[in-house]
Amino acid sequence: MAGRKGQTRREFLQLMAGIGSAAVWVACSGSAVQTGRTGASAPAPASQATPASAPSAGGAPSGPPIKIGASVSVTGSNGRTGLYQQEAYQLWERQVNARGGLLGRPVQFIIRDDQSDASTGQRLYEQLITDDQVDLILGPYSSQVTQAVANVAEKYRYPLLSAGASASEIWSHGDRRYTFGVYSIAEMYFTGVLEIAQRAGYRTVAIVSEDTLFPKSTAQGAAKLAREKGLQVVLEEQYPARVSDVSSLIQKVKASGAEVLVGGSYLPDALLITRQAKDLDYSPKLMAFSVGAAMPDFGEALGKDADYVFGPSMWEPELTTPGNQEFVREYIAMHGREPDYHSATGYSACQVLEAAVKAVGSLDRERIRDWLASAELETVLPGKYKVDATGMQVGHEVLTIQWQNGSKVLVWPPKYAAPGATYKLPTPPWSQRA
Amino acid sequence: MEGWALTLVQVAISGVLLGAVYALLAIGLNLIFGVMRIINIAHGDLLMLGAYATFWLFTLWGVNPLLALVAVSPGMFLLGVALQRVLVDRVVGQPLLSSLLLTFGLSSLLTGLALNLWTANYRSVPAFSGSLVVGGVAVSIPRLIAFSVALAITAAVYLFLTRAKLGKAVRATAQNAEVALVCGIDVARIRLLVFGLGTALAAAAGALLAVIYTIYPEMGRAFLMKAFAIIVLGGLGSFQGAFLGALALGVAEAFAGYIWNTQIAEAVAYVVFIGVLLVRPGGLFGTSE
Amino acid sequence: MAEIVETPREAAAEETAALAPRVRPAFAPPRALVLGVLAAVALVAVALPFVATAYVVRLGFILLLWVALASSWNLLSGYTGYVSFGHAGFFGLGAYTGALLITRLGWPWWLAGLAAGGLGMLVGLAVGWPTLRLRGPYFAVALLGLSEVARIVATVWEPLTRGGLGITLPPTADLVADYYAMLALAVAATALVWAVARSRLGLRLLAIREDETAAEVVGVPTTRLKLLVFMLSAGFPGIAGALYAWETSFIDPGTVFSVTWSVRTIASAMFGGAGTVVGPVVGALGLNLLAEVLWVRFPFLHPVLFGALIIVIVVFMPGGLMGLAQRRGWLPRSRAW
Repeated sequence: MAGRKGQTRREFLQLMAGIGSAAVWVACSGSAVQTGRTGASAPAPASQATPASAPSAGGAPSGPPIKIGASVSVTGSNGRTGLYQQEAYQLWERQVNARGGLLGRPVQFIIRDDQSDASTGQRLYEQLITDDQVDLILGPYSSQVTQAVANVAEKYRYPLLSAGASASEIWSHGDRRYTFGVYSIAEMYFTGVLEIAQRAGYRTVAIVSEDTLFPKSTAQGAAKLAREKGLQVVLEEQYPARVSDVSSLIQKVKASGAEVLVGGSYLPDALLITRQAKDLDYSPKLMAFSVGAAMPDFGEALGKDADYVFGPSMWEPELTTPGNQEFVREYIAMHGREPDYHSATGYSACQVLEAAVKAVGSLDRERIRDWLASAELETVLPGKYKVDATGMQVGHEVLTIQWQNGSKVLVWPPKYAAPGATYKLPTPPWSQRA
Repeated sequence: MEGWALTLVQVAISGVLLGAVYALLAIGLNLIFGVMRIINIAHGDLLMLGAYATFWLFTLWGVNPLLALVAVSPGMFLLGVALQRVLVDRVVGQPLLSSLLLTFGLSSLLTGLALNLWTANYRSVPAFSGSLVVGGVAVSIPRLIAFSVALAITAAVYLFLTRAKLGKAVRATAQNAEVALVCGIDVARIRLLVFGLGTALAAAAGALLAVIYTIYPEMGRAFLMKAFAIIVLGGLGSFQGAFLGALALGVAEAFAGYIWNTQIAEAVAYVVFIGVLLVRPGGLFGTSE
Repeated sequence: MAEIVETPREAAAEETAALAPRVRPAFAPPRALVLGVLAAVALVAVALPFVATAYVVRLGFILLLWVALASSWNLLSGYTGYVSFGHAGFFGLGAYTGALLITRLGWPWWLAGLAAGGLGMLVGLAVGWPTLRLRGPYFAVALLGLSEVARIVATVWEPLTRGGLGITLPPTADLVADYYAMLALAVAATALVWAVARSRLGLRLLAIREDETAAEVVGVPTTRLKLLVFMLSAGFPGIAGALYAWETSFIDPGTVFSVTWSVRTIASAMFGGAGTVVGPVVGALGLNLLAEVLWVRFPFLHPVLFGALIIVIVVFMPGGLMGLAQRRGWLPRSRAW
């Protein structure tokens, strides 16, 4: 939050400085057009809209900077999570420059805000590639924006590491050559939760989800996984985005008699369902939510009521994957708050890109693409980076967390769980909770 | 009771409880429309400000949300008066488009300010929780509290409008501003009062929603659409209409959500109000113009 | 060509006009100058894909999209005073029609676009017939509601639309062809407004705006005329939606039925001046270019700046840029503008 405030202040200053020159700027962007066409050798000063951190004092890198472009959703409906991704990019930029840059050259990020809008995201990537002439790009946040941006990446043959999107739709069309996943697809999110449900001997599942691309994908995947594990799906239902009341939905879930409730959700709806479940005195034996539950805010908002809730997570701070502890430490030092798993996926994408450039030894995007398509690599994320023939991520492992006594505990898979940490089931009725 | 009957009662109760909170928002919106003939698109954002103020008081000083409501509403009343004096008064009597656009600009401004002041993080005020189980029907305690307070405020406003001299002046202005002016009513002051009151009601709804819902800068949008549906349902400008319309919408949504699903429930509100518009443009309870 | 017709808000501003310095005699720009400026604008618009980067062309596409939306909205709302919040609905309808015809039936994009426009007009006819009887705020709120219903239908009707999963189109859109198609659409919408504004039809529409009852009394077939312009006005967002879907290659109900399409269209037209021919064009270009510049530079502050700008327009520039120019005597008060 502190970083955010600083940013606002800086914007105010920028505003003061820039308000008079806005018209001039418009004119300038016209001249940048010509530079773009002639493919000018001198890189245009990319000072505009670069909230990137100051160049590090490490000093080793020299030569023209390697420009990496990305747009993230800093404002709009996904602003909450998109910001984590941007912070990860900024951290990696500082770190890589401190250790001598990439190929001996400094790295410079150009980050724009797509306001969570697909068309804007697409236009910004086109701007990054054709106007700013960035050398490489990294992915935006959210499945909708990535769907649109992937086509731009294909058009210009820029390898795109999808650092903030995982709906399998992105890869299911099979004709994308340059788009690579960094973490498990949405359909796999509930693998651990359903595995736990099966082991606990539960037989019936109710699946509810918000009716937009990503949550719906997690729900569809959950239904398929549940059936494969021999669980019976007794209710599948959707609710609109920004829903304000789910009491009817909960009545139906209650009436369905499901032992397991799986919610394909974001944070606000996960909070709403949990609260209204308590209000209506409904507690299934196992309750899990796709995005909200793994966020620290979930526990903050609900306190003890968060207990027993499960959630898939792509990453957790206590993991002992290579470099993870340094990542968490330096992230907190730079941004003043704990990283979220969206930070980690963004950071992981940076790590993969760095490894690719180093392995190839140049910025040849075609060779980088080939490397990304075939490499296997450990990053801060659990499992490893490995994609299938369509570019979909298959090496990453989904974690499952459970809230216990007001804190988030990594409970699955057992090999990543802390010694002695295990899940608690069944969820007791609300009346029997301390 | 039979299981299905229990469920029906349960669904109806959920609907009524939420409907009363919608009513606070809709009544304010409708008062403003009645007196000034403007549709306030920023109304939902005033609700958002009320919710954030409650969140603030609760988080920083541990103020009980119901107590916070007592402090927040007068503060927001003053903000409303200021907004009316500086901005809104300029578009009263102008074509519909001007007021729509002005309040839309205000809405964007307030949402943006909230985003800068409080970030896009989701907040909540977990002051109350749990449920009363009466004869097999669970009644949410936070929602019951919100319902009771909303009902009390609605009653107070109703008494003010029907009994107090100033309240009668408000109704007179709503009926015919020119005649009211001739009768010696200070119409400009009435407008200040009404926009202030509408803002305070929206903020009160925000304070109550803070207890049962999640707070974020764009939360007002979702509730604004509901408030629109309600005032069309009940009749633009009608107090009783807005109240009954709100309860009706709450119940209709709850049943539609139970019978079909929550997506359809959202549509039901619109379908009902469009139907009402076409058949009875004055609203179910309003007098046609 | 030189009749003086009141621009919107002018009537309301009568009292202030009495106090203000006398309105200067209208300056009529020489015909050569007007034609010269038009030719220059046309040259830039046509030549853009040959001289600019892909980003600029894409920006041009979006700006022209706003021009098409603002001009077509102006045709109905600027001239009759019926404030429509239905553009989002017609836009979304067009986007889905176009996307489905392309992906399911393999239609070429331009044919799908035309079909989307045709369907937009048909639906406009069906929607306009009952709703155009409603006046003032009732009409505005009804169309707002219908747009939302359309969004929900697109979300729920999964077998056809795939609901929230959205539709991914083949990424074969030719940016330049799409740009020219949108250019043609924007020009067509504006030319239609121009033709209507100068015609008897335009006068009758203005009569409806100023006093519908009186217009009826003097024999203007109000219902038929309103329905005609509503239908015409609905076709453009339909085509625009299909072109947008083809261009962006991914649509979902929340994006293409977003109420933002309506609101920003209205803001654009008002910024330039509703009820004038040139106003909505200037407004759409100016407002959206400004927005693009603003939020690249100030990601956190742009909603605040955007909101403040709109408030300034309403409070200080009633009648928009055109109203301002005409009050100052920079432009003639002619219906041809």
